[in-house]
Amino acid sequence: MTELKINGKNRLVDVEEDTPLLWAIRDTVGLTGTKYGCGIQQCGACTVLIGKRPVRSCGITVGEVAGKDITTIEGLSEDSKHPVQMAWVEEQVPQCGYCQSGQIMAAASLLKRNPNPTDQEIDRGMLNLCRCGTYPRIRKAIHRASDLLKEVS
Amino acid sequence: MNRRTFLKVTAVAGGGLLVGCTFQSNPNISAPTAISEDLGLFIRIAKDNSITIISPTSEMGQGTHTAHAMIIADELEADWKKINVVTTHTVRSEYNTSSDVSTGGNRGIRLWWDRLANIGAGTRELLIEAGAQKMGVLVKECEAQNGHVLHRPSSRKLSYGQLAEAASRLKPPSSPKLKSKDRYRFVGKAIPRLDIPAKVNGTAIYGTDVRLPGMRYAAVSQSPVFGGKVKAYDKAAAMAVRGVEALIPIPHGMSVVADSTWHAQKGLEALNVQFEVGATAGIDQEELGRRFRTSLDDMGKTELSGEKVLDLEYEIQFLSHAALETMNCTAFVSDNSCEVWGPFQFQTSALNKIKEMTGLSEDQIKVHTTYVGGGFGGRFRLWGEDFVEQAVIISKALKKPVQVMWSREEDIQHDYYHPASRSRFQISLGDDGLPSQWQNQQAAGSQWVQNDKLLQILDLNPMAYSSSAHSGLSSVLFSTFAPKFKPHYDIAGVNFDSTVVDLEIPLGWWRSFMFQNTFFLESAMDESAHLAGVDPFEYRIKLLRNSPRFKKALELVAEDANWGSPIAEGHGRGIAICNFSGSVCAEVAEVSVNKRGKLVVHRVDCAIDVGRYVNPDTLKAQVEGCVVTGISVATSEEITFKDGRVEQTNYDNYRIAKMRNTPEINVRVIDSEHGPFGADAGLPPTPPAIMNAIFAATGKRIRRLPIGRQKLV
Repeated sequence: MTELKINGKNRLVDVEEDTPLLWAIRDTVGLTGTKYGCGIQQCGACTVLIGKRPVRSCGITVGEVAGKDITTIEGLSEDSKHPVQMAWVEEQVPQCGYCQSGQIMAAASLLKRNPNPTDQEIDRGMLNLCRCGTYPRIRKAIHRASDLLKEVS
Repeated sequence: MNRRTFLKVTAVAGGGLLVGCTFQSNPNISAPTAISEDLGLFIRIAKDNSITIISPTSEMGQGTHTAHAMIIADELEADWKKINVVTTHTVRSEYNTSSDVSTGGNRGIRLWWDRLANIGAGTRELLIEAGAQKMGVLVKECEAQNGHVLHRPSSRKLSYGQLAEAASRLKPPSSPKLKSKDRYRFVGKAIPRLDIPAKVNGTAIYGTDVRLPGMRYAAVSQSPVFGGKVKAYDKAAAMAVRGVEALIPIPHGMSVVADSTWHAQKGLEALNVQFEVGATAGIDQEELGRRFRTSLDDMGKTELSGEKVLDLEYEIQFLSHAALETMNCTAFVSDNSCEVWGPFQFQTSALNKIKEMTGLSEDQIKVHTTYVGGGFGGRFRLWGEDFVEQAVIISKALKKPVQVMWSREEDIQHDYYHPASRSRFQISLGDDGLPSQWQNQQAAGSQWVQNDKLLQILDLNPMAYSSSAHSGLSSVLFSTFAPKFKPHYDIAGVNFDSTVVDLEIPLGWWRSFMFQNTFFLESAMDESAHLAGVDPFEYRIKLLRNSPRFKKALELVAEDANWGSPIAEGHGRGIAICNFSGSVCAEVAEVSVNKRGKLVVHRVDCAIDVGRYVNPDTLKAQVEGCVVTGISVATSEEITFKDGRVEQTNYDNYRIAKMRNTPEINVRVIDSEHGPFGADAGLPPTPPAIMNAIFAATGKRIRRLPIGRQKLV
């Protein structure tokens, strides 16, 4: 048994310590917003936050994150009103949407570390794959979320 | 429309209304009961005023759920806030049709716009009639307004929910009156997509997110050499993995069933399946190269006359779909029923596969479509819905619900690949610089021919003719069956020949699946312009003299991109245009290549004419996505073979475009009365526009896609 702190709640999970966090989140805790895409930390569909850091949950084990603050897409906000989520709706970013939980978590983390990123910094900070090709809108939405964050503070 | 719509009305439990329609192919010679396609039930109005639209398409990001809702809401005068859209649930009861249920080929709007508009309008008329009856007033004094029937003189009104039951007892109108275009409230406007809110908070359910009570998880390993057989595996090691419950054979492979995806994957690793033989055993890059070479050379070369001649050869490699959601299917099979859930693109094929496998009747089978995590044609499994088959086999054996999910490696290595092809042009220019001889030969793999015996016998690859400059056979073929494929360039002396390269590799539909023809044609066009010493834009304009739609698109994109204006050192612009399934798209790419040969695509301008469109913002989003995919195809995507198997395994070696590869993309939507056609026309011009821009910047001509490791300086 390992205790995971996911979205502010403590969850006891009965999995081996070497289980990738992704599968504990999806199959054991039952939060399916975090997606599998590659299993080798290439695509970012499984991105969650550990503290403020974006982490690809397929490449980190349950044992490594026990007791740490884990945030999944379901925990980013209670009402889908996180500035990144609002910007994503305003810019109509998702197409198929499968990668977007990961994109949103990566963007939320980027903006925490850098509230006003340039296009170049977005290029460097956003490494998640999107097969539909929503990148131009992701870029716009990050700028918009950055503006929304300023309005909030 | 040369087909009439017959509405069909059904009452549903609880006093609701369900409206669908029947189409009559030729009302003049047949009674309504004759050869009609019952297209099922599309609108459900409940007593609480909620409206459910049952879309005949899967929602995979292309936005047809919202577009269908917009079309219906406009004619129905519905309250937008009450609308919910689902994909047709079971093929039989809600969508009983003689044609296939599938989503792809840019048909989501093209095939359904007029039909759905008729259903919306007919339902509105039914509700108005029911409203007039209930209020005891004349129909002509009533109108539909935002989910209500209003009696104008008295200002009394009743909601659609209040009228649903009464409407369900009325005889549906035979020819409902459609709105005029200027009265549209939704169609033509950038209405936010209905599926997006669920896609920003993790609640959208994809195939992999289906959870059923007692469900087990399965991982699969299939022969990496296509068609190979299982030789050996380590049963004891797999069964020793925690959570592993069963090992079940599947066609050309094995599955491991466990209590979680992770345990199934670990069990599969321990199982260490070994394979033998297979249809592609001898295939590698050298062998493939030899086959393409021979096929092309067998068509023979031409003696060109004239001073200015070109002898060019282009090629494109096999491609994988690499959608982010891997193949998956959840099945629950019992003695007298089978239900499957998944990200389906081809529901009819899934249904047929299940019938064949289980012996069940259509009444006993349900195909539930979830949101689709990327389609692009990859879920059209032309040799038979393998991922559905696997889930059904396993669930049937275990008598439990089972979710089969492929690893990324299985997905890349067992795809239905976009075919490789090669194209040779021998062109001679006349005194005016325009082509006087245009000899083109194509050797290509073809998913179409691979699955059609008649085309195999004829050695005819219809795909080779699309988006091409060819006359001759193509004009006969396509003026008869699809005039929209008519060549747009007015080129003298065109002669075209194509041959199908026989391949045992599974081939399939892909995003803008004939885009390679545009790469070939628009590259050859550019090379001709340069040889003639004429600006590539002006050169094309001359040859588009009889194609005003194309000329307009090209002129608009040139204007948007400031074609011909001064440009930074090391930069270049390239232009290209295509005809894709009736849509026209012209693009200009601006690129730079630095001294070390590093390519940057800075900007892509697009002017697209898809005919009439439903949602301009969705259309723009689709074109943006197409351009990104076009960049990906132009620069990095390539499936190669070694020892009979695909060499690539995952996104680290099958590389698709990232944020940093994405330029500024500007999309101009051209207003047009044609169509409706589709948005995939955004992809074909991108690779040649980029290659033409590289030539403009460097003088280096790239004739093989992807650029990959080819040197640009």
